[in-house]
Amino acid sequence: MKTEADYYALFDAYQQGGLPATERADLERRLAADPAFARQYADFAALTTTLHAYGERLSTRRKLHAIQADMDAEAAVRQTGETLQTSIPTMPTVYISPVERKLRQFWGAHRATMMVAASVAVMAVFTTLLGLEWWRAAQRPSLYGYTVLRREVERIKRNQRAMNKAIQQVDGSKPVIDLNPGKFSGTGFALTADGYLVTSYHVIQGADSLLIESHDRQRYRAETVFTDVARDLAILRINDRKFAGFGRLPYSFKRGAADLGEKVYTLGYPREDLVFNDGSLSARSGFEGDTAFYQISIPVNPGNSGGPLLDDRGNLIGIISGRQMDMQSAAFATKSSYLMRLVDSLAAAGSGQPYNVPRTNLLTGTSRPKQIRKLQDYVFVVKVYE
Amino acid sequence: MGKGVPSYTDEEFVAAIRHGDDRALAQLYRLHYPMVSHYVLQNSGTEDEAKDVYQEGVMVFYEKVRDGSLELSCQIKTYLYAVCRRLWLKRLSEKTRFSGRLDDHEPFLETGAEADLAAAEERDQQFALMGEALDRIGEPCRSLLEGFYLLDKSMQQLTAEFGYTNPDNAKNQKYKCLVRLKKLFFTHYKEEESF
Repeated sequence: MKTEADYYALFDAYQQGGLPATERADLERRLAADPAFARQYADFAALTTTLHAYGERLSTRRKLHAIQADMDAEAAVRQTGETLQTSIPTMPTVYISPVERKLRQFWGAHRATMMVAASVAVMAVFTTLLGLEWWRAAQRPSLYGYTVLRREVERIKRNQRAMNKAIQQVDGSKPVIDLNPGKFSGTGFALTADGYLVTSYHVIQGADSLLIESHDRQRYRAETVFTDVARDLAILRINDRKFAGFGRLPYSFKRGAADLGEKVYTLGYPREDLVFNDGSLSARSGFEGDTAFYQISIPVNPGNSGGPLLDDRGNLIGIISGRQMDMQSAAFATKSSYLMRLVDSLAAAGSGQPYNVPRTNLLTGTSRPKQIRKLQDYVFVVKVYE
Repeated sequence: MGKGVPSYTDEEFVAAIRHGDDRALAQLYRLHYPMVSHYVLQNSGTEDEAKDVYQEGVMVFYEKVRDGSLELSCQIKTYLYAVCRRLWLKRLSEKTRFSGRLDDHEPFLETGAEADLAAAEERDQQFALMGEALDRIGEPCRSLLEGFYLLDKSMQQLTAEFGYTNPDNAKNQKYKCLVRLKKLFFTHYKEEESF
């Protein structure tokens, strides 16, 4: 019995044509007659051809690899060769550090995203700012409407200079001695005959020095004695050697509350000259229901602050403080009762000179022009230097 | 293209390669490589992938030519392009599982590349099995068979290399090895087919 290997030797010989004619004919006959034997031969043939083809494939692959390698080498040579031929030095390449290269790659890949993120961030910031601003405005709506009435002198000074210049040109005389008019100014009035004055706190707020100027151009230095921020009150005292007292004050201070609808008036220095204004007492509470203040219907202007508010009989009932911008002629004045309470407490504390607040009223029953003529000597400009 | 290299027409290329002219093969390879490399690079491939795909494509062409079974209905260039394009698309879809947005709007060309590729794929599978079987057969059978069939060494050479007393012994050994290889190869082949 032949083994399979022996048959393979036979097949191999047959394929290569190395069999004698008789054996060959014998084999072919057997292949035709025996299907199992034929299949064995077919398997053998398939195996050897596949092996051959596999070998061929491997060698072809090697060939192609070699060609590719040749090409790559040539390309490399050509690159270096070209630069040699043309003898052009290789262009200097910008050295990019690995970190920068990474950053560049990142930028290239995520540029669009980053742009969007940046614009979103910018929008968010602005929205937040605007929102906050709006929210704050909503929180305190009407404080914006409140204006204190101290006068900014700088603004006016410019106009004055222009006017001075014009006057000089007209009459050609020597220039007027230019007094420093101070930074702010307000109004103040005498509290006692011996040199105490009252004005609004916001007039003297942040003051370095104060100068009191009377109707007849008398100037005195003054200092702050006491301030009450909540009621917007300030008490000053003249500390000037040439000051010899005011004389008897013609008005008295009302300790109680004034009546609604009372005719009231004020004197003040919204300009360089004394200005009179009158109106009525329109409410017993001030801005946002502040009970320390009256609301009055007097047209007041910056510079009126600290001015006296008097009723028909010449009683002092308040101190002008501020006005509301978004309301027609709504001004506010601190109630005199608070001023009196303050004076009383200061007197009780017993610091400094006693307060001889006038008790009698010389204005009652006289006409308004007469009252004002008496009054004007006790109303002053308060000039503030910072 | 350097001077002194003969340039072939398509027919001459096919004839030369069929007769085993390696220079013709090399020239053909160089001639069409830039086209395929450009295509692959344009479609999110790398230089190395382009080389791989092109070699596989040329392999298909080469084997068809050597078989004598190539029926060109178009230029070699077109044929190679079609084959490599199919190969690259296939590889890309395997790589990314994303075969949608490709530069695949070109008109379909009847190059026979599809059918050839299908046949080539089957052969690839067969070859992979053969390689596996050879790996499993063990020494010295592997070296013997490889020497004889893959490296085309003569029986005398192998006899000397493996230290057999005479060529007949070597031959007998070879046949035994062949029987073992057959068993390995066909059992696997059948298994694969039964899938």
